[in-house]
Amino acid sequence: MPSADSVKKCNPDFLLIDNDVKFINKSEEVLILSSIDAWNSLNWTKKYFDGKPKGGYFIWVKKQIDFPLSTCVNIASFEVKQDLQNLMVIEEGIKAKANVLCSSLKNNLLGTHRAKGKLILKNGASLEYNHIHKWGSMDNVFPDYEFILETGSSLDYNYSNMFPPKELNIKNKIICGDNSSVNLSISINGIDSNIKIKEEVFLSGKGAQAISKLKLVGRKNSNIVAESSIIAKEKSKGHIDCQSLMIDNKSKISSIPLLVCENKDAQITHEASIGRVSEEQLNYLRARGLNEKQAIDLIVSGFLKA
Amino acid sequence: MSLLEIKNLVVETNGKVILNGVDLKIKTGEVFALLGPNASGKSTLAKTIMGLPEYKIKKGEIVFKGKDIKRLALEKRVKEGIALVFQNPPALQGIKLEKLLNLISKKKSGYEEKHLNLLERDVNVNFSGGEKKISELMQVLALNPDLMILDEIDSGLDIKKREEVVNIIKEKVKDGMSVLIITHQGEILEQINPNRVGITMEGKIICESTDFRKVLKNIKENDYAKCRQCKKM
Repeated sequence: MPSADSVKKCNPDFLLIDNDVKFINKSEEVLILSSIDAWNSLNWTKKYFDGKPKGGYFIWVKKQIDFPLSTCVNIASFEVKQDLQNLMVIEEGIKAKANVLCSSLKNNLLGTHRAKGKLILKNGASLEYNHIHKWGSMDNVFPDYEFILETGSSLDYNYSNMFPPKELNIKNKIICGDNSSVNLSISINGIDSNIKIKEEVFLSGKGAQAISKLKLVGRKNSNIVAESSIIAKEKSKGHIDCQSLMIDNKSKISSIPLLVCENKDAQITHEASIGRVSEEQLNYLRARGLNEKQAIDLIVSGFLKA
Repeated sequence: MSLLEIKNLVVETNGKVILNGVDLKIKTGEVFALLGPNASGKSTLAKTIMGLPEYKIKKGEIVFKGKDIKRLALEKRVKEGIALVFQNPPALQGIKLEKLLNLISKKKSGYEEKHLNLLERDVNVNFSGGEKKISELMQVLALNPDLMILDEIDSGLDIKKREEVVNIIKEKVKDGMSVLIITHQGEILEQINPNRVGITMEGKIICESTDFRKVLKNIKENDYAKCRQCKKM
């Protein structure tokens, strides 16, 4: 998964700063528009938007591409409120990769980022979606995404948030069609944050498969509530793995995996653990000259990456 | 003056006394080998010198470069010039060896180029015995210590890896580094040629010699039985 810096360095195909679209790349294979333009010019997109969008991007991958798509949504000014709708459609059989960065350019901007996203993977399409958040400590962030996986499609969704905002409320809903598969990975380094995660995976098609991995770190007065559920409606397989690391006693993590089975042939499982930093690892790194904070930061970054 | 001087050191861990009056001196540029049966306190001594917090010093002194360091935190002892090659280093998931080496020091040990494949891997995750030792040496040498403590450096090494490890150690000794080498098997000493050798028994260094070959021969012939007799006398 690319780091926030590497995404920042690359030239984005779509660049939004505050509420102004600064750049949109044009290519033969991919149509990129602002969501407002997509609503106005492509009638069929209206069924996917939740009313007329006020901002955000529309990306339609029509032909096979050999480059990763990249979007940057930034908050650069004080007290900006973003209310975005993002729509991405990957046509049948196409393999695509998207690096998506949402960030504040400064730590103290008191920004609000609301993003309602919908990603449609048509039959046999596959997408690696690397979603990176990097916020200021006083921001409020509300991403609400829905992924629709049609027959035989596959999604690798990697969400990484090493710089969380004050308030983070993530909602992800994934609907898996026949023989589709999804690998979800969410890594959040909770630092003085109030974080809510609600992830729902619906195994709605026969042969659908889902793996959901959550890695959470609680430190410096963080309160994290993570609800991760798999609902198996057909013969399908799913697994939830929630791992959390507590760094101090001032934080709280509630990890709530939920399995709902509506088909006797479905196999769904979960595991959840909340642990602390290993003394052995900590002392090992201190024996390499790292101080306690450096050692803990390194262990945390390794935990979130592994 | 000794680089390291340990005086009447008593150490306990989990409420049990493991070291019971250890005395030891190591001079600058000297290689001191410590032999002894299992559970005689060799590794405990190594970890106590390094400052691992689970080893509580009840009595005695650890003087390094003329300063009593027994109250100095682990990482500060590293800054003073002590570094330990762990016998069983922990696996660090998600942390690449290259990243760790960069955090340890901007200077490189000089052995990275030979082991590029290791640098890209998570530290000690699925490393073979030999790879662990090489990784440990790379980390410790990046610190450029004055005293390098090698805890069972020869365990799990094949002949080729052992040769590489021995050459690295010899090179550093030539440059003036002091070495405390702890070994159960003792075979590596033939290649290292320590200046002195000591034997630990029941939490003490019960004898020292400059003739490591004679000591090894005795141990080979009598295990540590003669040492026990010697102790009784």
